[in-house]
Amino acid sequence: MSASRLDFEKLTGGYGGTTIVRGLSGAAKAGEVLCVLGRNGVGKSTLMRLLFGYLPCLSGRVLLDGKPIQAFDPSARHRLGITYCPQERPVFDDLPVRDNLTLMRASRRLGPFRHYFDRFPILERRLAQHAGTLSGGEKKILSFVRGLAEDRPVVLLDEPSEGVQWENILHMEAFIAEKKAAGTAFIVVEQNLAFAERIADRYLVMDQGRAMLEGSQSTISRDSILAHLHV
Amino acid sequence: MDPLIVTQAINVVYAVSILAVLALGLAVIFGLLGVLNIAHGEFIMIGAYCAYVTESRGWPYLVAVPLTLAVCSLLGAAVEWIMIRRLYRRPFDTLVATWGLSLLLRKIAEAFFGPGFRSVTIPLPGTIKFLGTEYPIYRLMLIVVSLAVVSVLVIWYGRSRTGSRIRAMVNNPELAQAQGISVRRLAAATFVVGTCLAGFAGVMVAPLVPVQPFMGLDYVLRSFFVLIVGGLGSVSGLLSGAVVIGGFDSVISAVTDAANGYFAVLVLAILFLWLRPRGIVARA
Amino acid sequence: MRAPSIVVLIVIALPLLLGEFWAYQLGLYALYAAAAVGIGLCWGQAGFLPLGQALFFGLAAYLSGFAFIGFQNHLIIAVLMLPFAALASGLLAYAIGYIVFRRTGESGAYFSMITLALSLLAFQIATSWNSVTGGFDGLKGIPGLPGLDDLSDNYYVSAAVLLVVLALAAWLYSAPIGVLWRALAQNERRLQLFGFDTNQLKSIAFGVSGLIAGMGGALYAPEQGIVTPQLAGFGLSADLVIWAAVGGRGSLLGPVIGTLLVGSLSSELRDTLPFWEVAMALFFIAIVLIFPRGIAGLAEPFLRKIEGRKRGRPFIAAPDAPTQRPPAALTLHDVSVRVGEVTILDGLSIDFDRAGIFCVIGPNGAGKTSMFNAISGELSGVSGQIGLGGSDIVGLVPNRISGLGVARKLQIPSVFPDLSIADNLAIALWSGRAAKVQLLKPRLRRWTSPMLEQLQSRYPFLASGPRKALELSHGEQQILELAMALLTEPRVLLLDEPCAGLSPEETDAVMGLVRWAAQRLGGAIIIIEHDMSLVKELAEVVYVLHNGTLLAKGGVAAIQADAKVRAVYVGGEK
Repeated sequence: MSASRLDFEKLTGGYGGTTIVRGLSGAAKAGEVLCVLGRNGVGKSTLMRLLFGYLPCLSGRVLLDGKPIQAFDPSARHRLGITYCPQERPVFDDLPVRDNLTLMRASRRLGPFRHYFDRFPILERRLAQHAGTLSGGEKKILSFVRGLAEDRPVVLLDEPSEGVQWENILHMEAFIAEKKAAGTAFIVVEQNLAFAERIADRYLVMDQGRAMLEGSQSTISRDSILAHLHV
Repeated sequence: MDPLIVTQAINVVYAVSILAVLALGLAVIFGLLGVLNIAHGEFIMIGAYCAYVTESRGWPYLVAVPLTLAVCSLLGAAVEWIMIRRLYRRPFDTLVATWGLSLLLRKIAEAFFGPGFRSVTIPLPGTIKFLGTEYPIYRLMLIVVSLAVVSVLVIWYGRSRTGSRIRAMVNNPELAQAQGISVRRLAAATFVVGTCLAGFAGVMVAPLVPVQPFMGLDYVLRSFFVLIVGGLGSVSGLLSGAVVIGGFDSVISAVTDAANGYFAVLVLAILFLWLRPRGIVARA
Repeated sequence: MRAPSIVVLIVIALPLLLGEFWAYQLGLYALYAAAAVGIGLCWGQAGFLPLGQALFFGLAAYLSGFAFIGFQNHLIIAVLMLPFAALASGLLAYAIGYIVFRRTGESGAYFSMITLALSLLAFQIATSWNSVTGGFDGLKGIPGLPGLDDLSDNYYVSAAVLLVVLALAAWLYSAPIGVLWRALAQNERRLQLFGFDTNQLKSIAFGVSGLIAGMGGALYAPEQGIVTPQLAGFGLSADLVIWAAVGGRGSLLGPVIGTLLVGSLSSELRDTLPFWEVAMALFFIAIVLIFPRGIAGLAEPFLRKIEGRKRGRPFIAAPDAPTQRPPAALTLHDVSVRVGEVTILDGLSIDFDRAGIFCVIGPNGAGKTSMFNAISGELSGVSGQIGLGGSDIVGLVPNRISGLGVARKLQIPSVFPDLSIADNLAIALWSGRAAKVQLLKPRLRRWTSPMLEQLQSRYPFLASGPRKALELSHGEQQILELAMALLTEPRVLLLDEPCAGLSPEETDAVMGLVRWAAQRLGGAIIIIEHDMSLVKELAEVVYVLHNGTLLAKGGVAAIQADAKVRAVYVGGEK
């Protein structure tokens, strides 16, 4: 898996006639995690959907290794090397866990997942069950494993820890660290500040569709982030 | 057992199986893609006319199958590209669009073959002694073929990769796209499979019914009723709908006449719509 | 009023211009045209498509045929029975509409399929019930209308009936009910939330269309002398749809143009040109996919010149809103909703005061919009109680709940895009104020109220009457929808993210409007909001929802200090 970086410049966009996100810029370099923080409704998921191509950009660019990709649809961006784990409906409820993991892989063998099953035994126990029967947190874990196992250079995660227990959140942190070391770039939207603090190299804090704070982990204080997160 | 009762019982089994195959194409297109293809009956008609053409050219009957598949897949692909592409999950809009298509196909058939009835000779004529009664071989064979087709399709849909990907696309199209499934192409392919299934059913029934341009209307309505009674989006729905509609129709038609059978089916469908709108096998 | 006189003149002159044969043809097709106008009413106005319209034409034809044969020695009685034949068709159509629409709700596709099946069934019955209907060969030997001799006399009778049908349709289209039909086609849910029973509106449309088809059919029997099953069957049903579409289903005269031009031409050309029918089918497809306004659409600029400019007529004051009733408190008690495996609302209990501005906040999936959906009656499977002014509203249909004084502004601006701003606002005024019979009076379109005048002085664009709502900017549409909700003078106003996607100036405008509304209406305004600066400005009480239940409530400062709220918004270690 070669390393890549994802940049976005002055992204503006939204749904239908509404503009939700205005002039957002940022980057996820190879081996780095960019955490997008903010209360709900500020446009974090909208940003992710713009980055992955579910929504058209009214203006601005999305660049993969310097090449503009904002005209491409989601399956094309996936082929180019971006993985996306959505916030809502993260799995295929009607398919068994096993199929959720192997649907688009070359082979159906579960060997490559051994590594993940060791930390998340719940997935291995429920391989034959329909994913719809899993709890919310378990679905998120399934989605997380599917995404990381795609081995793509850029990974977009939208609230991966929602509903997940703390021990498993720590496992997620470990996997993300492994991938970072191998050169994967991450953009992670998170509501959980404690988790974000453990994985982030850079922050992008949003409010009302704009960037309020931006910078590396070391330059932004916890209190300034909290001010934008809390009601 | 009284041979008359055995014959009636096999008739019911025949009616149910043939109805299941006739409705299968619409079950795929309406149940999975949310497209109400009212031209479904016309694709069945195309299959029947392909059988007619095959016979009039002196080719063996089975040649009708690849002929139908070729015509229905090309036509289905063209229709999907021109009309259906932007209208997935919009039953009313697709109904209006395909209504024009059904009109066009009927008129073309009329222009080429004339408005009258054609008949296709039964490829396997004669009867065979079965369960104590003499029953037409061809019908027995159709029962077997119907059950085989439905079973193969069910197993394929449930087990194969492509089947899983179609289920994924139907269940959560956004996530399917996210994982690299080209939803547009897969949906188009699914639509074409639906039209081909209809054509194939037409080849099957052609020897048993008058082949004429308007034959499709009855089939599309019956298929639609099977789906609303049985429920959309599942095989058990299709089968339970076929059992209820096919069973009801053949019993009432045997006891009174065809018009009453039709009336009974219509009343039944409206009752189901009234009391259990999502069908017998309602899915979330 | 120049257009109708021109039409009448043309109608009178035609036989003189075209000769007896064409007078006969056009007389026949005028009857079909009446049925086609019915399709225009259902499809072009109300947005649903009957595929079995010939059923009503044929039924009336048979009934009329029976009457004329039965009373052949006293034909005057048969003539008196003509309206009853048409009425029978109308009532049957209304009954079918009532049964089918009640259950299929918004899926017009199911309705179309069922009407198709009914037409085929009617054909079957007409063909096999030999003793009564004469079977496949039809009912023969029907005496003609008394006192008429030549072919062109029949033409004048048919033309007169068609003109009556057109006058009826023109009246209904310009009356409030016509506006409601068009609104229904554009946004059925929104219309229900204004308190209108959309199923009944559709049934009425279908009933009227059956009636006018019946008027054509009833006259067919004495004029043609024979009634065959084809008159009730699929072929005629299909042709009527084609003629209505090709002529232009959305306009009054479109279906008539389609029937007279295309229908009568077809009957001539069908035998001479081999691929005429195929060409017509292609033409139909093209019209439906590309140019739905049909032939009438081409003639539109010309027609507009004939009609001239409409003079603005003075406004009429609307009666007082029924909500000069006292404000009502909204309470939720242990409300739970499950959809499949997912629990959307989990024992939610909230007591809203009867007056004030309240904000509901919470993370995604907390159940905020679901709570609104439960209140407005759009969620099924709700357990618990939801009380409005003391009575439980769980299980009531949305339009009844609206009628009790609950107004809602939806998350995505939801107005009637193809209607004028004036019509949009008028619908809001009719909601809860207009008795059903009043909806037939065109003068109701000029209603205004003191609140509307005040809103129009705050936002002048609300007074630009004829402009279509879709021409407004996103922010203006939000304000229009909010204005419409306010005009119903509700006791409880539910606003779902009213400022989403608005510029700062537009947001200020909406906030000002909300404060003004709170004073003016004196009821409760409940707002779902994410933007905390707005919440701080507006809210008297804040409710925090989480996982489908109430997490905290209080003033803004209290909420900010609450540790549970903080944990939900910031996340924590477990």
